[in-house]
Amino acid sequence: MPATLTKILLADDDLDDRWFFEDFLKGREDIILLPAATSGIEVIQYLDNLTSANDLPDIIILDHNMPGLNGKETLALLRSRNRYNEIPVLIYSTYIGQKLIDECMKLGAASVMLKPSSPDEYNGMIDRILSDTAKKTDY
Amino acid sequence: MSTQKTYKELLAENERLRLQLEEATETIHAIRTGQVDALVVNDQDGRHQLYTLKTADQTYRVFIEKMNEGAVTLNEEGIILYCNSMFASIAGVPLSKVIGLPFASFIPDGFREIYNDLFSSGWLEDNKTEISIKSGDRLVPCQLSVTTLDLDEGVSLSVIITDLTFQKETQTLLKLNNQRLEQANAELEKSNHDLQQFASVASHDLQEPLRKISIFSTMLRSRHGDELPADSAMYLNKIIASSNRMKTMIIDILSYSKLSTHTDHFALTDLTEIVKDVVDDCEIMIQEKNATVIIGDLPAAEVNRGQMRQVFQNLISNSIKFSKVDVPPVIHVTSQDASVTDHVSKNGNSQEAISIQFSDNGIGFNELYQDKIFSLFERLNTKDQYEGSGIGLAISKKIIGKHNGTISAISREGEGSCFIIRLPLHQNKS
Repeated sequence: MPATLTKILLADDDLDDRWFFEDFLKGREDIILLPAATSGIEVIQYLDNLTSANDLPDIIILDHNMPGLNGKETLALLRSRNRYNEIPVLIYSTYIGQKLIDECMKLGAASVMLKPSSPDEYNGMIDRILSDTAKKTDY
Repeated sequence: MSTQKTYKELLAENERLRLQLEEATETIHAIRTGQVDALVVNDQDGRHQLYTLKTADQTYRVFIEKMNEGAVTLNEEGIILYCNSMFASIAGVPLSKVIGLPFASFIPDGFREIYNDLFSSGWLEDNKTEISIKSGDRLVPCQLSVTTLDLDEGVSLSVIITDLTFQKETQTLLKLNNQRLEQANAELEKSNHDLQQFASVASHDLQEPLRKISIFSTMLRSRHGDELPADSAMYLNKIIASSNRMKTMIIDILSYSKLSTHTDHFALTDLTEIVKDVVDDCEIMIQEKNATVIIGDLPAAEVNRGQMRQVFQNLISNSIKFSKVDVPPVIHVTSQDASVTDHVSKNGNSQEAISIQFSDNGIGFNELYQDKIFSLFERLNTKDQYEGSGIGLAISKKIIGKHNGTISAISREGEGSCFIIRLPLHQNKS
Protein backbone atom coordinates (compact mmCIF):
# COMPACT_ATOMS: atom_id res chain seq x y z
CA MET A 1 0.00 0.00 0.00
CA PRO A 2 1.41 3.40 -0.97
CA ALA A 3 2.36 5.76 1.80
CA THR A 4 -0.05 8.44 0.60
CA LEU A 5 -3.34 7.75 -1.12
CA THR A 6 -4.02 9.55 -4.38
CA LYS A 7 -7.00 11.89 -4.09
CA ILE A 8 -9.10 11.87 -7.26
CA LEU A 9 -11.78 14.43 -8.12
CA LEU A 10 -14.29 13.60 -10.84
CA ALA A 11 -16.56 16.08 -12.64
CA ASP A 12 -19.33 14.55 -14.73
CA ASP A 13 -22.85 15.85 -15.28
CA ASP A 14 -24.10 12.32 -15.97
CA LEU A 15 -25.51 10.63 -12.87
CA ASP A 16 -24.96 7.11 -14.22
CA ASP A 17 -21.35 7.86 -15.04
CA ARG A 18 -20.69 9.27 -11.58
CA TRP A 19 -22.22 6.11 -10.18
CA PHE A 20 -20.13 3.78 -12.43
CA PHE A 21 -17.02 5.67 -11.35
CA GLU A 22 -17.80 5.35 -7.67
CA ASP A 23 -19.08 1.79 -7.84
CA PHE A 24 -16.27 0.32 -9.92
CA LEU A 25 -13.45 2.12 -8.09
CA LYS A 26 -14.55 2.21 -4.46
CA GLY A 27 -12.87 -1.11 -3.72
CA ARG A 28 -9.39 0.23 -4.55
CA GLU A 29 -7.06 0.89 -1.68
CA ASP A 30 -4.61 3.16 -3.47
CA ILE A 31 -7.01 6.04 -4.13
CA ILE A 32 -9.46 8.29 -2.34
CA LEU A 33 -12.53 9.37 -4.32
CA LEU A 34 -13.42 12.96 -3.44
CA PRO A 35 -17.15 13.81 -3.70
CA ALA A 36 -17.82 14.03 -7.42
CA ALA A 37 -18.70 17.39 -8.98
CA THR A 38 -21.48 17.70 -11.55
CA SER A 39 -20.01 20.58 -13.56
CA GLY A 40 -16.84 22.48 -14.32
CA ILE A 41 -18.04 25.42 -12.20
CA GLU A 42 -18.49 23.09 -9.23
CA VAL A 43 -14.90 21.92 -9.62
CA ILE A 44 -13.60 25.49 -9.42
CA GLN A 45 -15.88 26.34 -6.49
CA TYR A 46 -14.87 23.17 -4.64
CA LEU A 47 -11.18 23.88 -5.12
CA ASP A 48 -11.56 27.54 -4.17
CA ASN A 49 -13.21 26.53 -0.91
CA LEU A 50 -10.28 24.35 0.15
CA THR A 51 -8.24 26.37 2.58
CA SER A 52 -5.33 23.95 2.85
CA ALA A 53 -3.25 23.12 -0.20
CA ASN A 54 -2.87 19.62 1.29
CA ASP A 55 -6.53 18.95 0.64
CA LEU A 56 -6.22 19.64 -3.10
CA PRO A 57 -6.87 16.61 -5.35
CA ASP A 58 -3.84 14.83 -6.83
CA ILE A 59 -5.71 14.05 -10.04
CA ILE A 60 -8.77 15.66 -11.66
CA ILE A 61 -10.87 13.72 -14.17
CA LEU A 62 -13.17 15.88 -16.29
CA ASP A 63 -15.97 14.77 -18.56
CA HIS A 64 -15.71 16.77 -21.75
CA ASN A 65 -19.39 17.13 -22.63
CA MET A 66 -20.75 19.12 -19.74
CA PRO A 67 -23.19 22.04 -19.86
CA GLY A 68 -21.74 25.42 -18.89
CA LEU A 69 -18.02 24.88 -18.81
CA ASN A 70 -17.05 21.82 -20.79
CA GLY A 71 -14.02 19.73 -19.92
CA LYS A 72 -11.63 21.59 -22.15
CA GLU A 73 -12.77 25.00 -20.88
CA THR A 74 -12.52 23.86 -17.27
CA LEU A 75 -9.00 22.63 -17.99
CA ALA A 76 -8.08 26.02 -19.47
CA LEU A 77 -9.43 27.76 -16.37
CA LEU A 78 -7.48 25.45 -14.04
CA ARG A 79 -4.29 26.06 -16.01
CA SER A 80 -4.78 29.82 -15.67
CA ARG A 81 -4.66 29.63 -11.87
CA ASN A 82 -1.26 29.17 -10.20
CA ARG A 83 -2.79 27.24 -7.35
CA TYR A 84 -4.20 24.51 -9.63
CA ASN A 85 -1.69 24.72 -12.43
CA GLU A 86 0.23 21.60 -11.42
CA ILE A 87 -2.67 19.20 -10.85
CA PRO A 88 -2.73 16.49 -13.55
CA VAL A 89 -6.03 16.60 -15.47
CA LEU A 90 -7.50 13.70 -17.45
CA ILE A 91 -10.30 14.45 -19.91
CA TYR A 92 -12.68 11.67 -20.90
CA SER A 93 -15.68 11.49 -23.18
CA THR A 94 -17.90 8.99 -24.98
CA TYR A 95 -16.35 10.21 -28.19
CA ILE A 96 -13.00 11.85 -28.74
CA GLY A 97 -11.73 13.18 -32.02
CA GLN A 98 -8.16 14.02 -32.91
CA LYS A 99 -8.99 17.73 -32.73
CA LEU A 100 -10.14 17.50 -29.12
CA ILE A 101 -7.08 15.46 -28.20
CA ASP A 102 -4.75 18.00 -29.79
CA GLU A 103 -6.44 20.99 -28.17
CA CYS A 104 -6.54 19.44 -24.70
CA MET A 105 -2.94 18.21 -24.87
CA LYS A 106 -1.90 21.71 -25.88
CA LEU A 107 -3.71 23.09 -22.85
CA GLY A 108 -1.69 20.69 -20.70
CA ALA A 109 -4.01 17.71 -20.17
CA ALA A 110 -2.24 14.63 -18.82
CA SER A 111 -4.38 12.43 -21.03
CA VAL A 112 -7.51 12.42 -23.19
CA MET A 113 -9.44 9.17 -23.42
CA LEU A 114 -12.68 7.36 -24.19
CA LYS A 115 -15.06 6.74 -21.31
CA PRO A 116 -14.49 3.19 -20.07
CA SER A 117 -17.15 0.57 -20.82
CA SER A 118 -16.54 -1.99 -18.08
CA PRO A 119 -15.23 -2.24 -14.50
CA ASP A 120 -11.93 -3.52 -15.87
CA GLU A 121 -11.61 -0.55 -18.17
CA TYR A 122 -12.33 1.85 -15.30
CA ASN A 123 -9.59 0.30 -13.24
CA GLY A 124 -7.24 0.28 -16.21
CA MET A 125 -7.85 4.01 -16.69
CA ILE A 126 -6.92 4.70 -13.04
CA ASP A 127 -3.85 2.42 -13.20
CA ARG A 128 -2.61 4.29 -16.22
CA ILE A 129 -3.09 7.78 -14.89
CA LEU A 130 -1.45 6.77 -11.60
CA SER A 131 1.62 5.40 -13.31
CA ASP A 132 1.79 8.36 -15.73
CA THR A 133 1.64 10.96 -12.97
CA ALA A 134 4.01 8.98 -10.74
CA LYS A 135 6.62 9.08 -13.52
CA LYS A 136 6.23 12.81 -13.88
CA THR A 137 6.75 13.55 -10.19
CA ASP A 138 10.00 11.58 -10.29
CA TYR A 139 11.68 14.32 -12.26
CA MET B 1 9.20 25.15 -159.11
CA SER B 2 5.54 25.17 -159.52
CA THR B 3 3.38 25.57 -156.45
CA GLN B 4 0.88 23.37 -158.11
CA LYS B 5 0.75 20.02 -156.45
CA THR B 6 -0.09 16.93 -158.18
CA TYR B 7 -3.07 14.88 -157.03
CA LYS B 8 -0.66 12.28 -155.79
CA GLU B 9 1.21 14.89 -153.76
CA LEU B 10 -2.06 16.18 -152.32
CA LEU B 11 -3.07 12.69 -151.32
CA ALA B 12 0.25 12.21 -149.58
CA GLU B 13 -0.06 15.52 -147.77
CA ASN B 14 -3.59 14.68 -146.79
CA GLU B 15 -2.41 11.42 -145.35
CA ARG B 16 0.39 13.20 -143.40
CA LEU B 17 -2.06 15.72 -141.98
CA ARG B 18 -4.50 12.98 -141.06
CA LEU B 19 -1.76 11.18 -139.12
CA GLN B 20 -0.79 14.46 -137.45
CA LEU B 21 -4.42 15.03 -136.48
CA GLU B 22 -4.69 11.50 -135.16
CA GLU B 23 -1.56 12.06 -133.13
CA ALA B 24 -2.92 15.35 -131.77
CA THR B 25 -6.26 13.75 -130.92
CA GLU B 26 -4.44 10.97 -129.15
CA THR B 27 -2.32 13.47 -127.23
CA ILE B 28 -5.39 15.43 -126.21
CA HIS B 29 -7.08 12.23 -125.13
CA ALA B 30 -4.00 11.25 -123.20
CA ILE B 31 -3.92 14.65 -121.56
CA ARG B 32 -7.62 14.43 -120.77
CA THR B 33 -7.36 10.99 -119.25
CA GLY B 34 -4.29 11.96 -117.27
CA GLN B 35 -1.79 9.70 -119.02
CA VAL B 36 0.63 12.52 -119.76
CA ASP B 37 2.73 14.22 -117.10
CA ALA B 38 4.59 16.71 -119.24
CA LEU B 39 4.94 17.94 -122.77
CA VAL B 40 8.15 19.03 -124.42
CA VAL B 41 7.50 21.64 -127.07
CA ASN B 42 9.91 23.53 -129.29
CA ASP B 43 9.47 27.24 -128.89
CA GLN B 44 10.05 29.91 -131.53
CA ASP B 45 13.76 30.03 -130.82
CA GLY B 46 13.99 26.30 -131.26
CA ARG B 47 14.60 25.73 -127.56
CA HIS B 48 12.83 23.02 -125.66
CA GLN B 49 10.08 24.23 -123.37
CA LEU B 50 8.69 21.92 -120.72
CA TYR B 51 5.01 22.17 -119.90
CA THR B 52 3.99 20.32 -116.80
CA LEU B 53 0.45 19.13 -116.73
CA LYS B 54 -1.26 19.02 -113.42
CA THR B 55 -2.58 15.53 -114.00
CA ALA B 56 -4.05 15.20 -110.57
CA ASP B 57 -5.96 18.40 -111.10
CA GLN B 58 -9.14 16.63 -112.10
CA THR B 59 -9.04 14.33 -109.06
CA TYR B 60 -8.43 17.26 -106.76
CA ARG B 61 -11.27 19.21 -108.31
CA VAL B 62 -13.61 16.33 -107.57
CA PHE B 63 -12.34 16.20 -104.02
CA ILE B 64 -12.74 19.91 -103.58
CA GLU B 65 -16.22 19.86 -105.10
CA LYS B 66 -17.36 17.08 -102.79
CA MET B 67 -15.69 18.09 -99.55
CA ASN B 68 -17.50 19.51 -96.56
CA GLU B 69 -15.41 22.66 -96.44
CA GLY B 70 -15.84 25.71 -98.56
CA ALA B 71 -12.92 26.35 -100.91
CA VAL B 72 -12.12 29.50 -102.89
CA THR B 73 -9.09 30.82 -104.67
CA LEU B 74 -8.39 34.53 -104.73
CA ASN B 75 -6.20 36.69 -106.91
CA GLU B 76 -3.98 39.42 -105.56
CA GLU B 77 -6.91 41.85 -105.44
CA GLY B 78 -8.92 39.42 -103.35
CA ILE B 79 -11.33 38.64 -106.19
CA ILE B 80 -12.78 35.14 -106.17
CA LEU B 81 -11.38 33.17 -109.13
CA TYR B 82 -12.81 29.83 -108.18
CA CYS B 83 -15.24 28.60 -105.59
CA ASN B 84 -16.74 25.20 -104.77
CA SER B 85 -20.42 24.66 -104.19
CA MET B 86 -19.97 24.23 -100.42
CA PHE B 87 -18.76 27.80 -100.10
CA ALA B 88 -21.72 29.03 -102.15
CA SER B 89 -23.98 27.08 -99.82
CA ILE B 90 -22.29 28.51 -96.67
CA ALA B 91 -22.61 32.02 -98.07
CA GLY B 92 -26.14 31.34 -99.28
CA VAL B 93 -25.43 32.66 -102.78
CA PRO B 94 -25.75 30.74 -106.09
CA LEU B 95 -22.38 29.39 -107.26
CA SER B 96 -22.52 31.31 -110.51
CA LYS B 97 -22.78 34.65 -108.70
CA VAL B 98 -19.82 34.10 -106.38
CA ILE B 99 -17.03 34.06 -108.95
CA GLY B 100 -15.71 37.52 -109.66
CA LEU B 101 -16.87 39.00 -106.36
CA PRO B 102 -14.33 40.31 -103.86
CA PHE B 103 -14.09 37.80 -100.99
CA ALA B 104 -14.26 40.75 -98.60
CA SER B 105 -17.89 41.26 -99.60
CA PHE B 106 -18.72 38.14 -97.55
CA ILE B 107 -16.96 39.49 -94.47
CA PRO B 108 -19.13 41.48 -92.04
CA ASP B 109 -17.87 44.94 -91.00
CA GLY B 110 -16.73 43.89 -87.55
CA PHE B 111 -14.35 41.29 -88.98
CA ARG B 112 -12.77 43.30 -91.83
CA GLU B 113 -9.58 44.00 -89.96
CA ILE B 114 -9.04 40.38 -89.02
CA TYR B 115 -9.70 39.38 -92.62
CA ASN B 116 -7.32 41.99 -94.03
CA ASP B 117 -4.58 40.77 -91.72
CA LEU B 118 -5.19 37.20 -92.78
CA PHE B 119 -5.30 38.12 -96.46
CA SER B 120 -2.05 40.05 -96.40
CA SER B 121 -0.18 37.55 -94.23
CA GLY B 122 -1.54 34.59 -96.21
CA TRP B 123 0.63 35.51 -99.19
CA LEU B 124 3.72 35.14 -97.03
CA GLU B 125 2.89 32.06 -95.01
CA ASP B 126 0.04 29.65 -94.22
CA ASN B 127 -2.30 31.09 -91.68
CA LYS B 128 -5.68 30.52 -90.12
CA THR B 129 -8.22 32.43 -88.10
CA GLU B 130 -11.80 32.27 -86.85
CA ILE B 131 -14.15 34.73 -88.45
CA SER B 132 -17.81 35.16 -89.36
CA ILE B 133 -19.09 34.90 -92.93
CA LYS B 134 -22.20 36.73 -94.10
CA SER B 135 -24.93 34.40 -95.23
CA GLY B 136 -27.96 36.51 -96.11
CA ASP B 137 -29.03 38.11 -92.84
CA ARG B 138 -27.18 35.80 -90.58
CA LEU B 139 -23.54 35.27 -89.69
CA VAL B 140 -21.90 31.89 -89.95
CA PRO B 141 -18.95 31.24 -87.63
CA CYS B 142 -16.13 29.86 -89.76
CA GLN B 143 -12.50 28.99 -89.66
CA LEU B 144 -10.51 30.35 -92.61
CA SER B 145 -7.21 28.79 -93.45
CA VAL B 146 -5.17 30.31 -96.23
CA THR B 147 -2.28 29.06 -98.26
CA THR B 148 -0.72 30.23 -101.51
CA LEU B 149 -1.27 28.18 -104.64
CA ASP B 150 1.16 28.11 -107.54
CA LEU B 151 -0.99 27.83 -110.65
CA ASP B 152 0.03 28.14 -114.31
CA GLU B 153 -1.94 31.36 -114.47
CA GLY B 154 0.11 32.74 -111.59
CA VAL B 155 0.07 32.65 -107.82
CA SER B 156 -3.30 32.71 -106.10
CA LEU B 157 -4.43 32.44 -102.53
CA SER B 158 -6.51 29.43 -101.61
CA VAL B 159 -8.91 29.76 -98.71
CA ILE B 160 -10.54 26.79 -96.98
CA ILE B 161 -13.69 27.77 -95.10
CA THR B 162 -14.84 25.43 -92.31
CA ASP B 163 -18.34 26.01 -90.98
CA LEU B 164 -18.04 26.06 -87.20
CA THR B 165 -21.77 26.45 -86.47
CA PHE B 166 -22.20 22.90 -85.26
CA GLN B 167 -18.96 22.99 -83.32
CA LYS B 168 -19.93 26.28 -81.66
CA GLU B 169 -23.34 24.94 -80.76
CA THR B 170 -21.75 21.84 -79.28
CA GLN B 171 -19.34 24.02 -77.36
CA THR B 172 -22.16 26.14 -75.97
CA LEU B 173 -24.12 23.05 -75.08
CA LEU B 174 -21.07 21.52 -73.47
CA LYS B 175 -20.44 24.66 -71.47
CA LEU B 176 -24.05 24.72 -70.35
CA ASN B 177 -23.95 21.06 -69.40
CA ASN B 178 -20.72 21.61 -67.53
CA GLN B 179 -22.30 24.45 -65.59
CA ARG B 180 -25.27 22.28 -64.72
CA LEU B 181 -22.97 19.47 -63.71
CA GLU B 182 -20.94 21.78 -61.52
CA GLN B 183 -24.08 23.02 -59.85
CA ALA B 184 -25.38 19.51 -59.30
CA ASN B 185 -21.98 18.56 -57.99
CA ALA B 186 -21.95 21.42 -55.51
CA GLU B 187 -25.43 20.47 -54.30
CA LEU B 188 -24.38 16.87 -53.98
CA GLU B 189 -21.28 17.82 -52.10
CA LYS B 190 -23.35 19.85 -49.69
CA SER B 191 -25.87 17.11 -49.09
CA ASN B 192 -23.02 14.65 -48.78
CA HIS B 193 -21.44 16.87 -46.19
CA ASP B 194 -24.76 17.18 -44.33
CA LEU B 195 -25.13 13.43 -44.42
CA GLN B 196 -21.65 12.91 -43.03
CA GLN B 197 -22.36 15.45 -40.35
CA PHE B 198 -25.54 13.61 -39.54
CA ALA B 199 -23.88 10.21 -39.52
CA SER B 200 -21.14 11.49 -37.29
CA VAL B 201 -23.38 13.33 -34.81
CA ALA B 202 -25.94 10.53 -34.71
CA SER B 203 -23.24 7.94 -34.17
CA HIS B 204 -21.63 9.87 -31.34
CA ASP B 205 -24.93 10.51 -29.62
CA LEU B 206 -26.04 6.91 -30.08
CA GLN B 207 -22.85 5.70 -28.49
CA GLU B 208 -23.75 7.25 -25.14
CA PRO B 209 -26.92 5.33 -24.28
CA LEU B 210 -25.50 2.24 -25.94
CA ARG B 211 -22.49 2.25 -23.69
CA LYS B 212 -24.79 2.37 -20.67
CA ILE B 213 -26.97 -0.47 -21.94
CA SER B 214 -23.82 -2.47 -22.35
CA ILE B 215 -22.41 -1.60 -18.92
CA PHE B 216 -25.65 -2.14 -17.02
CA SER B 217 -26.52 -5.42 -18.71
CA THR B 218 -22.99 -6.71 -18.19
CA MET B 219 -23.21 -5.69 -14.53
CA LEU B 220 -26.53 -7.48 -14.22
CA ARG B 221 -25.01 -10.61 -15.65
CA SER B 222 -21.87 -10.56 -13.54
CA ARG B 223 -23.54 -9.58 -10.27
CA HIS B 224 -26.93 -11.28 -10.48
CA GLY B 225 -26.49 -13.83 -13.24
CA ASP B 226 -26.76 -16.70 -10.76
CA GLU B 227 -30.11 -15.52 -9.45
CA LEU B 228 -31.72 -15.27 -12.89
CA PRO B 229 -33.94 -18.04 -14.28
CA ALA B 230 -32.40 -19.74 -17.32
CA ASP B 231 -34.52 -17.97 -19.92
CA SER B 232 -33.88 -14.54 -18.35
CA ALA B 233 -30.15 -15.19 -18.51
CA MET B 234 -30.62 -15.96 -22.19
CA TYR B 235 -32.53 -12.68 -22.74
CA LEU B 236 -29.74 -10.85 -21.01
CA ASN B 237 -27.15 -12.46 -23.23
CA LYS B 238 -29.20 -11.40 -26.27
CA ILE B 239 -29.24 -7.81 -24.98
CA ILE B 240 -25.48 -7.83 -24.52
CA ALA B 241 -24.87 -9.42 -27.93
CA SER B 242 -27.18 -6.92 -29.61
CA SER B 243 -25.56 -3.94 -27.97
CA ASN B 244 -22.14 -5.23 -28.99
CA ARG B 245 -23.39 -5.58 -32.55
CA MET B 246 -24.77 -2.08 -32.51
CA LYS B 247 -21.47 -0.77 -31.20
CA THR B 248 -19.68 -2.41 -34.14
CA MET B 249 -22.19 -0.87 -36.54
CA ILE B 250 -21.81 2.60 -35.11
CA ILE B 251 -18.03 2.40 -35.27
CA ASP B 252 -18.28 1.14 -38.87
CA ILE B 253 -20.66 3.94 -39.88
CA LEU B 254 -18.28 6.43 -38.35
CA SER B 255 -15.32 5.06 -40.24
CA TYR B 256 -17.39 4.98 -43.43
CA SER B 257 -18.39 8.63 -43.07
CA LYS B 258 -14.84 9.58 -42.12
CA LEU B 259 -13.61 8.09 -45.40
CA SER B 260 -15.32 10.92 -47.26
CA THR B 261 -13.67 13.68 -45.30
CA HIS B 262 -10.11 12.55 -44.79
CA THR B 263 -7.50 13.85 -47.14
CA ASP B 264 -5.71 11.01 -48.79
CA HIS B 265 -2.19 10.07 -48.10
CA PHE B 266 -0.69 7.59 -50.53
CA ALA B 267 2.71 5.97 -50.13
CA LEU B 268 4.47 3.23 -52.02
CA THR B 269 3.72 0.12 -49.97
CA ASP B 270 4.40 -3.57 -50.45
CA LEU B 271 0.96 -5.14 -50.77
CA THR B 272 2.23 -8.58 -49.81
CA GLU B 273 3.31 -7.10 -46.50
CA ILE B 274 -0.18 -5.70 -45.88
CA VAL B 275 -1.77 -9.09 -46.60
CA LYS B 276 0.70 -10.75 -44.20
CA ASP B 277 -0.14 -8.18 -41.51
CA VAL B 278 -3.83 -8.90 -41.93
CA VAL B 279 -3.24 -12.65 -41.73
CA ASP B 280 -1.33 -12.08 -38.47
CA ASP B 281 -4.24 -10.02 -37.15
CA CYS B 282 -6.74 -12.73 -38.02
CA GLU B 283 -4.64 -15.46 -36.44
CA ILE B 284 -7.20 -16.44 -33.80
CA MET B 285 -10.00 -16.57 -36.37
CA ILE B 286 -7.79 -18.55 -38.78
CA GLN B 287 -6.89 -21.10 -36.12
CA GLU B 288 -10.49 -21.46 -34.93
CA LYS B 289 -11.70 -22.27 -38.43
CA ASN B 290 -8.57 -24.16 -39.44
CA ALA B 291 -8.20 -21.78 -42.38
CA THR B 292 -5.31 -21.56 -44.87
CA VAL B 293 -4.32 -18.34 -46.60
CA ILE B 294 -2.03 -18.75 -49.61
CA ILE B 295 -0.39 -15.47 -50.51
CA GLY B 296 0.99 -15.02 -54.02
CA ASP B 297 3.44 -12.40 -55.19
CA LEU B 298 1.89 -8.95 -54.87
CA PRO B 299 3.80 -5.88 -56.05
CA ALA B 300 4.22 -2.56 -54.28
CA ALA B 301 1.66 0.15 -55.05
CA GLU B 302 0.94 3.70 -53.96
CA VAL B 303 -1.79 3.20 -51.38
CA ASN B 304 -3.08 4.49 -48.10
CA ARG B 305 -1.72 1.68 -45.98
CA GLY B 306 -4.33 1.81 -43.22
CA GLN B 307 -7.21 1.89 -45.66
CA MET B 308 -5.86 -0.90 -47.87
CA ARG B 309 -5.31 -3.00 -44.79
CA GLN B 310 -8.96 -2.47 -43.89
CA VAL B 311 -10.00 -3.72 -47.34
CA PHE B 312 -7.82 -6.84 -47.18
CA GLN B 313 -8.98 -7.46 -43.63
CA ASN B 314 -12.63 -7.25 -44.72
CA LEU B 315 -12.11 -9.64 -47.63
CA ILE B 316 -10.09 -12.21 -45.72
CA SER B 317 -12.33 -12.18 -42.65
CA ASN B 318 -15.39 -12.45 -44.93
CA SER B 319 -13.90 -15.52 -46.59
CA ILE B 320 -13.29 -17.11 -43.21
CA LYS B 321 -16.68 -16.03 -41.90
CA PHE B 322 -18.63 -17.29 -44.89
CA SER B 323 -16.97 -20.70 -45.07
CA LYS B 324 -18.76 -24.02 -45.35
CA VAL B 325 -19.40 -25.74 -42.04
CA ASP B 326 -17.54 -28.93 -42.94
CA VAL B 327 -14.82 -27.56 -45.23
CA PRO B 328 -11.81 -25.70 -43.77
CA PRO B 329 -11.51 -22.36 -45.58
CA VAL B 330 -8.73 -21.95 -48.15
CA ILE B 331 -8.08 -18.44 -49.42
CA HIS B 332 -5.87 -17.65 -52.38
CA VAL B 333 -4.53 -14.13 -52.78
CA THR B 334 -3.00 -13.63 -56.23
CA SER B 335 -2.26 -10.75 -58.56
CA GLN B 336 -1.69 -10.09 -62.25
CA ASP B 337 -0.56 -7.17 -64.29
CA ALA B 338 -3.57 -5.20 -65.52
CA SER B 339 -1.91 -2.21 -67.15
CA VAL B 340 -3.75 -0.47 -69.93
CA THR B 341 -2.26 1.52 -72.75
CA ASP B 342 -4.30 4.36 -74.11
CA HIS B 343 -4.35 3.79 -77.84
CA VAL B 344 -7.23 6.16 -78.43
CA SER B 345 -5.62 9.47 -77.65
CA LYS B 346 -2.36 10.09 -79.40
CA ASN B 347 -0.27 10.51 -76.26
CA GLY B 348 -0.16 6.72 -75.80
CA ASN B 349 -0.26 7.16 -72.03
CA SER B 350 -0.34 3.92 -70.19
CA GLN B 351 -1.66 3.25 -66.75
CA GLU B 352 0.22 0.68 -64.74
CA ALA B 353 -2.29 -1.32 -62.78
CA ILE B 354 -2.72 -4.66 -61.12
CA SER B 355 -5.59 -6.98 -60.51
CA ILE B 356 -5.67 -8.69 -57.12
CA GLN B 357 -7.89 -11.70 -56.53
CA PHE B 358 -9.14 -13.03 -53.21
CA SER B 359 -10.76 -16.36 -53.93
CA ASP B 360 -12.16 -18.82 -51.43
CA ASN B 361 -13.96 -22.16 -51.18
CA GLY B 362 -16.76 -20.81 -48.99
CA ILE B 363 -20.53 -20.74 -49.27
CA GLY B 364 -20.46 -18.21 -52.13
CA PHE B 365 -23.51 -16.22 -53.13
CA ASN B 366 -25.99 -15.98 -55.96
CA GLU B 367 -24.52 -13.92 -58.78
CA LEU B 368 -27.74 -11.89 -58.78
CA TYR B 369 -26.28 -10.11 -55.78
CA GLN B 370 -22.82 -9.41 -57.12
CA ASP B 371 -23.38 -5.63 -57.20
CA LYS B 372 -25.74 -5.45 -54.25
CA ILE B 373 -23.22 -6.83 -51.77
CA PHE B 374 -21.24 -3.59 -51.99
CA SER B 375 -24.16 -1.47 -50.76
CA LEU B 376 -24.41 -0.18 -47.21
CA PHE B 377 -26.15 -2.51 -44.76
CA GLU B 378 -26.66 -5.16 -47.42
CA ARG B 379 -26.70 -8.64 -45.93
CA LEU B 380 -27.28 -11.83 -47.83
CA ASN B 381 -27.27 -14.08 -44.79
CA THR B 382 -29.21 -13.98 -41.56
CA LYS B 383 -27.31 -12.41 -38.71
CA ASP B 384 -28.03 -15.46 -36.56
CA GLN B 385 -25.76 -17.46 -38.82
CA TYR B 386 -23.17 -14.87 -39.71
CA GLU B 387 -22.24 -11.85 -37.64
CA GLY B 388 -21.45 -8.50 -39.15
CA SER B 389 -22.60 -4.95 -39.67
CA GLY B 390 -23.18 -5.11 -43.42
CA ILE B 391 -20.80 -2.21 -43.92
CA GLY B 392 -17.50 -3.95 -44.59
CA LEU B 393 -17.81 -4.30 -48.34
CA ALA B 394 -19.29 -0.80 -48.69
CA ILE B 395 -16.23 0.56 -46.90
CA SER B 396 -13.96 -1.57 -49.10
CA LYS B 397 -15.60 -0.27 -52.25
CA LYS B 398 -15.28 3.31 -51.08
CA ILE B 399 -11.61 2.86 -50.24
CA ILE B 400 -10.81 1.23 -53.59
CA GLY B 401 -12.73 4.05 -55.29
CA LYS B 402 -10.55 6.58 -53.47
CA HIS B 403 -7.55 4.75 -54.94
CA ASN B 404 -9.08 5.14 -58.42
CA GLY B 405 -9.59 1.43 -58.64
CA THR B 406 -12.54 -0.90 -58.84
CA ILE B 407 -13.71 -3.89 -56.84
CA SER B 408 -16.04 -6.58 -58.08
CA ALA B 409 -17.05 -10.08 -57.15
CA ILE B 410 -17.91 -13.27 -58.95
CA SER B 411 -19.44 -16.22 -57.22
CA ARG B 412 -21.79 -19.12 -57.44
CA GLU B 413 -23.80 -20.38 -54.51
CA GLY B 414 -21.99 -23.20 -52.78
CA GLU B 415 -18.87 -22.82 -54.92
CA GLY B 416 -16.89 -20.08 -53.25
CA SER B 417 -16.40 -16.43 -54.14
CA CYS B 418 -13.73 -14.41 -55.85
CA PHE B 419 -13.26 -10.71 -55.16
CA ILE B 420 -11.27 -8.82 -57.77
CA ILE B 421 -9.61 -5.51 -57.08
CA ARG B 422 -8.21 -3.49 -59.94
CA LEU B 423 -5.74 -0.98 -58.59
CA PRO B 424 -3.49 1.54 -60.35
CA LEU B 425 0.10 1.27 -59.14
CA HIS B 426 0.49 5.03 -58.97
CA GLN B 427 -1.76 7.80 -57.73
CA ASN B 428 -1.81 11.26 -59.26
CA LYS B 429 -0.09 13.74 -57.05
CA SER B 430 -2.37 16.72 -56.55
